[in-house]
Amino acid sequence: MITVKNVTFRYKGNEETALNEISLTVVNHDFVGIIGTSGAGKSTLAMALNGVIPHEFAGDFYGEVLIDDEDTVDHAAEYFGRKVGEVFQDIDSQMVASVVEDEILFGLENFGIPHEEIGIRLEKVLRELGIEDLRHREIASLSGGQKQKVAIAAILALEPEILVLDEPTGELDPESSQEIFGLLKKLNEEKGITVVIVEQKIKLLCEYVKHLVVLDRGKLQFDGVPREVITHIDTFKRLGINVPPVAELSAMFRADGSYAGDVTLTVEEAEKMVREVLHDSV
Amino acid sequence: MNLLNYVPGDSFLHRLNPITKLAAAFLYGIACILCGNIGMEAAFIVLMIVISASAGLAGRALRLTRNLVILGLFMFVLQLFFVRTGAPLVVVKGFVLITTGGLRSALLLSLRVVATMLPLMILFAITPMNDLCNALVKRAHLPYRYAFIITTAFRFVPLFSTEFHEIQDAQRARGVDFETKNLIRKVQLVAPLCVPLLVSSLEKVNSSAISAQMRGFELRNRTSGYKEYPFHAGDAVVFATLAGMIAVSAVLL
Ligand SMILES: Nc1ncnc2c1ncn2[C@@H]1O[C@H](COP(=O)(O)OP(=O)(O)O)[C@@H](O)[C@H]1O
Ligand SMILES: [Mg+2]
Repeated sequence: MITVKNVTFRYKGNEETALNEISLTVVNHDFVGIIGTSGAGKSTLAMALNGVIPHEFAGDFYGEVLIDDEDTVDHAAEYFGRKVGEVFQDIDSQMVASVVEDEILFGLENFGIPHEEIGIRLEKVLRELGIEDLRHREIASLSGGQKQKVAIAAILALEPEILVLDEPTGELDPESSQEIFGLLKKLNEEKGITVVIVEQKIKLLCEYVKHLVVLDRGKLQFDGVPREVITHIDTFKRLGINVPPVAELSAMFRADGSYAGDVTLTVEEAEKMVREVLHDSV
Repeated sequence: MNLLNYVPGDSFLHRLNPITKLAAAFLYGIACILCGNIGMEAAFIVLMIVISASAGLAGRALRLTRNLVILGLFMFVLQLFFVRTGAPLVVVKGFVLITTGGLRSALLLSLRVVATMLPLMILFAITPMNDLCNALVKRAHLPYRYAFIITTAFRFVPLFSTEFHEIQDAQRARGVDFETKNLIRKVQLVAPLCVPLLVSSLEKVNSSAISAQMRGFELRNRTSGYKEYPFHAGDAVVFATLAGMIAVSAVLL
């Protein structure tokens, strides 16, 4: 579990704070989505979750981040690296090896996993992500989706309790994006891994996450279940985030009083709502 | 194509211990430096091309040789006019321009340049950087930190060139024409791109370091590496052969 308490962070040399009095809780087995416009502080927040901030970036840090009651500032940067594994935003520069296999071995070797277990974990994680055939490939020759999977595999091999991903679908086509989300859902449901994902595609977030956080200029705007958060359609519009059309439709019906149910997040739900509304008006 | 990248394969050369490959490249070079016989120096070049061919790298070796010959020619010209020993060979208006000693030493030097550099270049084709560094850490006790810096530097070269082309494309989209033949104009156009390139490179190096750190880089020690790099009979054969080569070169001195 991660507890963020009143965290404020200002990068050295900046006037503005990148995070401003943020408080939030990530419970075990949670699937959290973080959304916000560019520069809202999403990456900064993601990096604060396991101590990269403030350990690796100079600046003013206030408040505290507790990981199972241990404060991130009380330990060396890598202390939480295994428990809270993070896939960073820039996919290319976070790679440390040139071949897939070596990339996955890196963390396992460093953290001193016994050598007889390393081989088992390596094969297991390749299998789980369906990338056995990439094992000996040069990372530079992979597609964006494949690279994301390798980056996830390198973290997953360390068997983290919490997986933080910063815009993993940022440069992927819709199909690969769905695939990544499907994979995360599986990890979340079958292995009980807590997932925190920074993502711009609100439709995917509505479909997959249990808990949605909206950031705006370093401030927490909303924090709740997607169905509730998404009702603030005006705020989303102001922030320039396009809500799914089905949600907007239900908001319109609610506004004119013809519908009193929950916001609809999928086409099926919207269809049901439209039938209801039409039925009532007959 | 890049003449220094790794070419996957399963030949005798590929399967050697990375440390053997590195040492062999240097020992081959030493043999070439010791050798004072023009014919044998040329033979060393041919031999290296033949050895490369056995690993499926004939094309690579020939292209490298061609490039090295250009460097060799440059050395040849310099040496030709600087060495004044031996009988006069070319005399212009009573002034000795080239001597037999000059020609001989120029020829030897240029061949030697090609012969010593070639194995070092071939080394890159048959050895993944990662393996070389890991083997050096495990077997030669090179501190991991240095090994990591070397591999990272090699890995980042193509990344930087991609970055450079992206920045260049962005500029081109704004109407900057990089296709000019005028060298000075070209430098004027490309120089301003170096600042954003440097900034983004530093950012990349930084995020790479953070990712390494969070995956326990600081905790690593010499025994952490999972892969073992044992020496085999083939490695011994290579060392013995090279010792022989050096001995012959030294005798023919
Ligand atoms: N390394 C840094 N140094 C200084 N300022 C930074 C750095 N990284 C981000 N910022 C600033 O902090 C703010 C939040 O950035 P970031 O967390 O990257 O936003 P997001 O991920 O939501 O796009 C931005 O104003 C950005 O310019
Ligand atoms: Mg970001």
